[in-house]
Amino acid sequence: MSSPADTAAFPYDGPEPLREPLAAALARVVDPEISMNIVDVGLVYGVTVDATVAHVRLTMTSAACPVIDLIMDEAEAELDKVVPPELQIRVELVWEPPWGPERMSAGARRFMGW
Amino acid sequence: MHGRVLARALFGALAGASLAGGIAGGLWRLGVAVPDPHSFAWTGQVLLVHAALMICGFLGTVVGIERAVAVKHRWAFAAPLASGTGALCLAFGQQAAGAWLEVAAAVFFLAASAVVVRRQRAAHTLLLAAGAAAWVAGNLLFALGRDGGAVFPWWFAFLVMTIAAERLEMTRLMRRRPAASLTLQAVLVLLLAGAAWSGTAPRAGGLAYGTALALLAVWLAVFDIARRTVAMHGISRYMAVCLLGGYAWLGVAGAAWAAAALGGPTRDIALHALGLGFVVSMVMGHAPVVLPAIARIKLRFGAFFYLPLAALHLSLVVRLVLGSFSDPLRAAGASLNAAAIVFFAVTVAGAAIAWRIQHGAEGARKA
Repeated sequence: MSSPADTAAFPYDGPEPLREPLAAALARVVDPEISMNIVDVGLVYGVTVDATVAHVRLTMTSAACPVIDLIMDEAEAELDKVVPPELQIRVELVWEPPWGPERMSAGARRFMGW
Repeated sequence: MHGRVLARALFGALAGASLAGGIAGGLWRLGVAVPDPHSFAWTGQVLLVHAALMICGFLGTVVGIERAVAVKHRWAFAAPLASGTGALCLAFGQQAAGAWLEVAAAVFFLAASAVVVRRQRAAHTLLLAAGAAAWVAGNLLFALGRDGGAVFPWWFAFLVMTIAAERLEMTRLMRRRPAASLTLQAVLVLLLAGAAWSGTAPRAGGLAYGTALALLAVWLAVFDIARRTVAMHGISRYMAVCLLGGYAWLGVAGAAWAAAALGGPTRDIALHALGLGFVVSMVMGHAPVVLPAIARIKLRFGAFFYLPLAALHLSLVVRLVLGSFSDPLRAAGASLNAAAIVFFAVTVAGAAIAWRIQHGAEGARKA
């Protein structure tokens, strides 16, 4: 829903100049069924960037979803466009804590009738 | 890398052969000969196993691949491998081998679903596992030689519960009454009770089963996000249209199933409003999203996807509504059903080619 991405939507620990481009890159990854990006749905649990690695933690709403790999690949491809080449990109799938609708952005919740 | 491409081709061939055999069997059953049935030694078997090829051979294999891709365990692919080869055995008259391979497929599928539950314990993953268990039950009854009256309710319970579980998961995005999950579970318990009863008390069982299907249609119409996403654009709206059209046929199937239990001439309506109107409409809706994930084929989405969808629903009106008044119309409707599925397959192939043209061969290889 929101573009540019709401950077307060997930914890970020890294160089300030990268915060905005990373959030924007993740906000370009969209769940096709609901036309919402993974930041708005609240699937991004956190981003940390140190001297060698940009590490993104993602969750999914369902462990039975066959599209998980595709979303992870797409996140990696979008991050690749903004992360400096000397940094490695690591996209990690996590299940804890479980996703809940309270993680959705205000715009996404409004659309879904909250 | 070559192994993976080969595996995808093998699974695609198994699912495709089941679909083709299943459609041919369905058409022969209604007196449409394609090609001349007497030229084919196994006509009898193909007739008999139309439902097994469609539900276990085609849909079971596709859903089995989906689940195996999601759990990421190599052994989980044993489920679609067994269901696909089992269907081939059935088509070529190896009844016992085919039926027991289907049992094995469902057991592997249940095990893969248990992995999902262990990873994420939630109402929707438990329902997925219950759907897998229903497939085991149906396949066991089929292997033990029980007829469609006992087997079909379990087979359809497998498909219906798998779809319902996935829709329940999506409703978490929406503000919903706390009773939503509980009501759905109550409806699905009624469905399973109806399936279990159908083997011994067809009248009561069929009534319960039909009622559960109709109630599920109401539940989906009230709680599903499709009513919201239909206001979106592009692929989201297309998926919502597929879902909502499917829910309407689910309601028809429920009423027809209950009427057939009471002796009404609505068996064909019950089975095919459910199998084609509800399930195939779901497949058409999800294919543009799921195929890229499981077959690694990228598709270019466009409004042309609505054409085969419209063909499916219109051909169902011909077969199930107009066909109630005339057998030739019903047979013509069935041919049009088959044509709509072929039309959809051609559309998907065209969308894959369109994506390659748009992004170039290099992009397609990279994907």
